[in-house]
Amino acid sequence: MLRVEELYKSFGGIMALSGVSFGVEPGSITGLIGPNGSGKSTCFNIISGFYAKDRGDIYFQGEKVENIEPFRLARMGIGRTFQISAVTERMTVLENLLLAPKLQTGEGVFNVFFRSSKIRKQEKENYDKAVEILNLVQLYALRNEYAGNLSGGQKKLLSLGRILLSDPLLILLDEPTAGVNPTLIKDLVAAVRRLRDEEGKTILLVEHNMRVISEICDKVIVLDFGRKIAEGTPKEVQNNEKVLEAYLSGSSKRESIHENS
Amino acid sequence: MGFINFLVYLAIMMGIFAILSVSLNLQYGFTGLANFGQVAFFCLGAYATTIVTLTFNQSFFLGIIASMFLAGLFGYIIAIPTADLREDYWAIVTLAAGEIVRIFFLNEDWVVGGGPYRGGAYGVGDIPQPFRSHFAAQTYPFFYLGIVLVCLLLTYLIINRLTNSPFGRVLKSIREGDDNLAQAMGKDVKKFRIKAMAIGGIFGGLAGCLYAHYYGFISPQEFVPLETFIVWAMVIVGGEGNNKGAILGSVIIILFYNSTRYLKDYVPINETTLASLRMVAIGVLIVVVMLFMKEGLIKEKKRIY
Repeated sequence: MLRVEELYKSFGGIMALSGVSFGVEPGSITGLIGPNGSGKSTCFNIISGFYAKDRGDIYFQGEKVENIEPFRLARMGIGRTFQISAVTERMTVLENLLLAPKLQTGEGVFNVFFRSSKIRKQEKENYDKAVEILNLVQLYALRNEYAGNLSGGQKKLLSLGRILLSDPLLILLDEPTAGVNPTLIKDLVAAVRRLRDEEGKTILLVEHNMRVISEICDKVIVLDFGRKIAEGTPKEVQNNEKVLEAYLSGSSKRESIHENS
Repeated sequence: MGFINFLVYLAIMMGIFAILSVSLNLQYGFTGLANFGQVAFFCLGAYATTIVTLTFNQSFFLGIIASMFLAGLFGYIIAIPTADLREDYWAIVTLAAGEIVRIFFLNEDWVVGGGPYRGGAYGVGDIPQPFRSHFAAQTYPFFYLGIVLVCLLLTYLIINRLTNSPFGRVLKSIREGDDNLAQAMGKDVKKFRIKAMAIGGIFGGLAGCLYAHYYGFISPQEFVPLETFIVWAMVIVGGEGNNKGAILGSVIIILFYNSTRYLKDYVPINETTLASLRMVAIGVLIVVVMLFMKEGLIKEKKRIY
């Protein structure tokens, strides 16, 4: 589904990624973990087209992806959420969701005036799907609330809901459970698992919550200082010496693996 | 009769500026594009129709079409290289674009035919008033007010339809913070910005056309950046992101702007000082609105499903 080869990226003097390679199998959930500043988000931003890479190759569905604008990648089927949940504040929860379906007829200026019946039909369909998803992420009661008024955790859920509605092939989730309460995390985990099992979606996620990682990931990739230091099943990775060292040795800025679990 | 004529004049001005502010509202209120060169559309519209109807002696309708087309094209063209810029840079670029248009007409007198005391800084007079011969001098302003109101109504209906559509939804998502979100949703942000500018230009041009035919005389001095800021005041006071608010804003600002004419009888300040004070009054009005009604007199309407 996705193959990253020898990815390099530096910001000024900081090597954010130095030669990272990994693959994501279709229909799997892959976790990308590592201490803060290890290059996870940079990796996400390059895959989704928001950053240009310095070197390296990315293959999506067997095809090489080179210099493609983020919105085109999104249309090709790479959907993502953001770490700091980006929601459109002065738009309601429902409006946020209805934004998600790609290439809507009503997004064309002329269509607005000359194809109104088709637009109405599409809006109705999207509305029904949106309501389904709102029930899933438990935001239905807040559907007409401005997204800016939601709590941090609710914004996360909204971001997840939005990505589900946009129906991508590969879903990149950037810390989907940060700030979400434990009960809801269970539902989220179940929802993500259902995406894989029932809809055959492929998911790559950055996550600090080790319990979530070990519960749902088929494979985990561990980054540290822009390098891949381990890859394997959650169990294998958790007992890997290099990984423990990366998490525990570190500077005061680093959080321990246990604090987050 | 004098007072009624004055009211008709006020209403015509309100209508013309309401078209400008609804146009700016699409760009700023909905898309978040800080267009500080709105007056460029106004200016281009005024000159385009003058050239078509005066120099080439064509009909008023052709003048309207030329105005809307030229101003829309200008919006489209200046948006292409600037669509990736951040809001603050966008403001600088559009401010400069507005000045370029004004200075162009200030220096290139040939575009309106040229001749002694004509074109350039002298301005152009004798711009024909549409269907003038069908009306008496007394009734013509009422007819012209009708034209302006029909144009305003059409502008409102078209832009309101756009802002309520999925197209408008994407514009709003571009307004909210950075482009990343809209991009991640597969929206071609740049294209949407260009469209918003072009549509804004089309209606800004329409306002310019109506202005030129109403006064019968235009000159570059009337299209200074100050005009842009007056339109901004209308949008801010009326309510960003609300088309009705933009219209209300223009009604209020035009009233403020013209109030000095009658105020001079009641306050012990001479007319020239009073005329200068009106900009101060508008400034104070903006400050008051921002302090007590941050979202303007009419808030952006929440879309309820």
